[in-house]
Amino acid sequence: MSRISRKWRRTIFSWLVLSPLIVLVLFPFAVMFITAIKPATEVLRPTWWPSEVRLQNFVTMWEATGFGQALWNSVYVAVLSTAIALVVSIPAAYAMSRYRFAGRGFLQQFLLVSQMLSPIVLVIGLFRLVVWLGLIDNINSIVFVYAAFNIAFSVWMLQSYFSTIPKDLEEAAWIEGASPWKALVKVFLPLAVPAMVVTSIFAFINAWNEFVIALTMLRSQATYTLPIQIFSLVAGRYTVEWHHVMAAAFVATIPIAIVFAWLQRYLVRGLALGAVK
Amino acid sequence: MSLSLIKKLALGGAATLALTTAAYAQTVRVTVAEYSSKTQPYFEEAAAAFEEANPDIDIQIEVVPWDVLLQKLTTDISAGANADLSIIGTRWLIDFVEQGVAAPLDEYMDEDFKNRFIDVFLEPSVMDGKTYGLPVAASARAMYYNQALFDQAGVESVPENWEELKAAAEKIDALGEDIHGFGLQGAEIETDVYFYYAFWSFGGDLIEEDGTSGLDTEAGYQAARLYKEMIDEGLTQPGATANSREDVQNLFKQGNVGMMITAPFLSSQIAEEAPDLDYGVAAIPAGPDGERGTYGVTDSIIMFENSENKEAAWEFLDFIFTADWRQKFTSGEGFLPVNQEVAQMPEFTENEDLKAFTDLLPDARFAPVIPGWEEIAQITSDALQSIYLGAEVESTLDAAAAEIDGILQQ
Amino acid sequence: MTRSPLTNPYLLVMPGFLLAAFIILWPLYQLGQISLSDVNRFGQLRGFAGFENFAAVFADPDFIGSLGRTAIWTFGIVIGTILVSLPVALVLNENFYGRGIARVIIMLPWAVSLTMTAIVWRWALSGESGMLNSALRGLGVIDANIQWLAQAATAFPVQIMIGILVSVPFTVTIFLGGLSSIPDDLYEAAKLEGANGWDIFRRITLPLVRPFINIAVVMNTIYVFNSFPIIWVTTQGGPANSTDILVTYLYKLGFRLGQLGEASALSIMMFVLLLGFTILYVRLAMRSTRS
Repeated sequence: MSRISRKWRRTIFSWLVLSPLIVLVLFPFAVMFITAIKPATEVLRPTWWPSEVRLQNFVTMWEATGFGQALWNSVYVAVLSTAIALVVSIPAAYAMSRYRFAGRGFLQQFLLVSQMLSPIVLVIGLFRLVVWLGLIDNINSIVFVYAAFNIAFSVWMLQSYFSTIPKDLEEAAWIEGASPWKALVKVFLPLAVPAMVVTSIFAFINAWNEFVIALTMLRSQATYTLPIQIFSLVAGRYTVEWHHVMAAAFVATIPIAIVFAWLQRYLVRGLALGAVK
Repeated sequence: MSLSLIKKLALGGAATLALTTAAYAQTVRVTVAEYSSKTQPYFEEAAAAFEEANPDIDIQIEVVPWDVLLQKLTTDISAGANADLSIIGTRWLIDFVEQGVAAPLDEYMDEDFKNRFIDVFLEPSVMDGKTYGLPVAASARAMYYNQALFDQAGVESVPENWEELKAAAEKIDALGEDIHGFGLQGAEIETDVYFYYAFWSFGGDLIEEDGTSGLDTEAGYQAARLYKEMIDEGLTQPGATANSREDVQNLFKQGNVGMMITAPFLSSQIAEEAPDLDYGVAAIPAGPDGERGTYGVTDSIIMFENSENKEAAWEFLDFIFTADWRQKFTSGEGFLPVNQEVAQMPEFTENEDLKAFTDLLPDARFAPVIPGWEEIAQITSDALQSIYLGAEVESTLDAAAAEIDGILQQ
Repeated sequence: MTRSPLTNPYLLVMPGFLLAAFIILWPLYQLGQISLSDVNRFGQLRGFAGFENFAAVFADPDFIGSLGRTAIWTFGIVIGTILVSLPVALVLNENFYGRGIARVIIMLPWAVSLTMTAIVWRWALSGESGMLNSALRGLGVIDANIQWLAQAATAFPVQIMIGILVSVPFTVTIFLGGLSSIPDDLYEAAKLEGANGWDIFRRITLPLVRPFINIAVVMNTIYVFNSFPIIWVTTQGGPANSTDILVTYLYKLGFRLGQLGEASALSIMMFVLLLGFTILYVRLAMRSTRS
């Protein structure tokens, strides 16, 4: 009985401490949602409650903004670039955590430095690269760029996590006659799942939210990702349909929010064992 | 692994895309500025109609938001990846012409074609006797006023000059806390232009005859003082330096602003978003000597010098500059007609709002044709924002003028 | 034991290194070339210019202003984020009812692209039709609308606040990772010795979380220094350049004014600046952990 009441006390205290931040976090979502369900004629009035709830706005938004195509593009780019980043980062991180070799220090420094170059600083040069490859307005161009920009972080995360997995386990497998490959797949990788999940989440979010590169490389609505598509509803138009913009922004955040709710325990666990070494 | 191998691998993804377009003999890429949600459907429709008539030409429309159009064109051109045709702000044209990026169109144009246009709009695209662009969108500015607020405040006639405007603004502003006399744009693109309306009517010239900036003249001081006074006396909407043109227009649509100066497209927005608003359109107020000036803007469509499909690109231009397609675009987006024939259509001649704009055209001034105009506009806007926030008028304008002179002398 | 590609570290490292190097070093080389050239607004090189572009950037008073504001912006957000995230992470590390929901809510800003967050805030901050003013008025906090974005004195702090808000999820996640790596028996032992909450925090939690704080500082500094959408979408660096930071200044220089040479020079200077800071910080952090 007293244990339960202690937990309740802690619950009240915790929510009180968190409440200012929670209010600030939820505020933009409230603005988004309420603007999204207002009738077009009431959008400019700063009232909190619309005179009627217009859920059709979501339907008209879907049509008016070409949302489906942009959603698909975003998913395609985020999934593919995450997969590429992971596929090249896992072996690299494995090598860096298991072997000492000449050039390892250089590699580590290169990764740290490349982490510091943000796309906006490089955008002029990146654009020339993509043109040279003939990939302008091709959605695959940004897949490669995102994958490359995610490598530094992914290798670093995975490497520090891999180092926490004792080498004995693989060696034991070798002694039992397993090939290095089999030891890797059967023994090592299953243990590394949390780190891979965390890394993918980071890579996925970066790709999902990226703006400047997509803005520069993509040309037609058929290739736009969600941030660009929504930005184009606001930028420099002679009139902005705010209820559509907010409806689109709201719907665009839902998939990620669900992924978060689902995976957040992995997120913390993976970081706990990995991040710092 | 060689670079070319990487390139080949990367191209693999693009190959499937290329196959689908290979059936056409020629592809013409057109970069289009997005004016509203109607822009894309309009151009897609035009392209489809054109392709039907010209099955060997494939038109690819690339819609770009206005805010980033110049950036995209710049990066595209720098990498040689530009389209064949593009809409640009005519005020950028000089840079394109000087760098040999825009192709002259005279060899394709006959007298008939030229006569399709209203002269005043074609002229800004002509440089050194050659035509480098065709006006695709045109607008001028006039004053919108809220008739209901005028009636409530007892303003009996539409202000003719700035003195009357200020008096009217005082009366309207007294109506309530949420009601503001004069909507004053003080942020983002065209902040400088909002100032020129007054500047021109006080007799100012952006570039003096001796080739220096006209900001540090009596006209500049007077105009800036007028706006600053109205801000200080609370006759404008609060926080002018946070209000872009769209923000002020939104206030006008809500019926919270008595008067504002803007382009004809506000009328079509009001028709859709605030159909009950009782408003009128009138001339921009005159200065003490009866001078007035409106800002004329055109956007042009240009052909790039490095285009490999100039003939096909021209075919498409010829097609979209026919009266029917022009009419559709102009009324959809709420611009002024640039095409003689379109201007004669009853839809436009019988439109009261548009008449107010076309009447002002003899007073229309365009952005000066000098390289680096964007930078000068930026300096001017920055100076004005400082003044609106409280900086001293004369010294701020003098400093801005000195900086502009430095650019002009280059 | 058979030779396997798995035992050759170079082979393992190669694909990742090549991809990253190709997409990062090549553009960097291009930038270096442009920054030393006389270049027109379309990026066509017109001959060698030495360090003229660098000199031109230094001579611009807006550069100095932006540099100072970048420092305030970066440190303001990084320090603010740490100060907010640490208590939040401590609370979230405890077991209480609804912790799962609380974690998801705190993580939410991460799920929204920065551009969209900025668009929503701009809309909410609008003076006359903004819902923030309307909410504050409804609560009786203010009685006249505040024009948040009309002057730097209100705009810049609000922008920093938004910056903190979007940096918190990442930082809290890192801290939670750090906290959960502290073994429970350490706390038990401290409690047995009669240490109070503050002592436990100062003697056990803080030292053990310190490496995670260092990580958070370095990563956040890099992100925030390069962060563009918040300021660009809300004020475009205005009014009168009073909220410009280096990235927005860079964007204006390169894409509004077409000074690609100066913009490239500035890009390189920014990179060097960030690199210098990171090396310095990592050195200092390593020294203090060693001692």
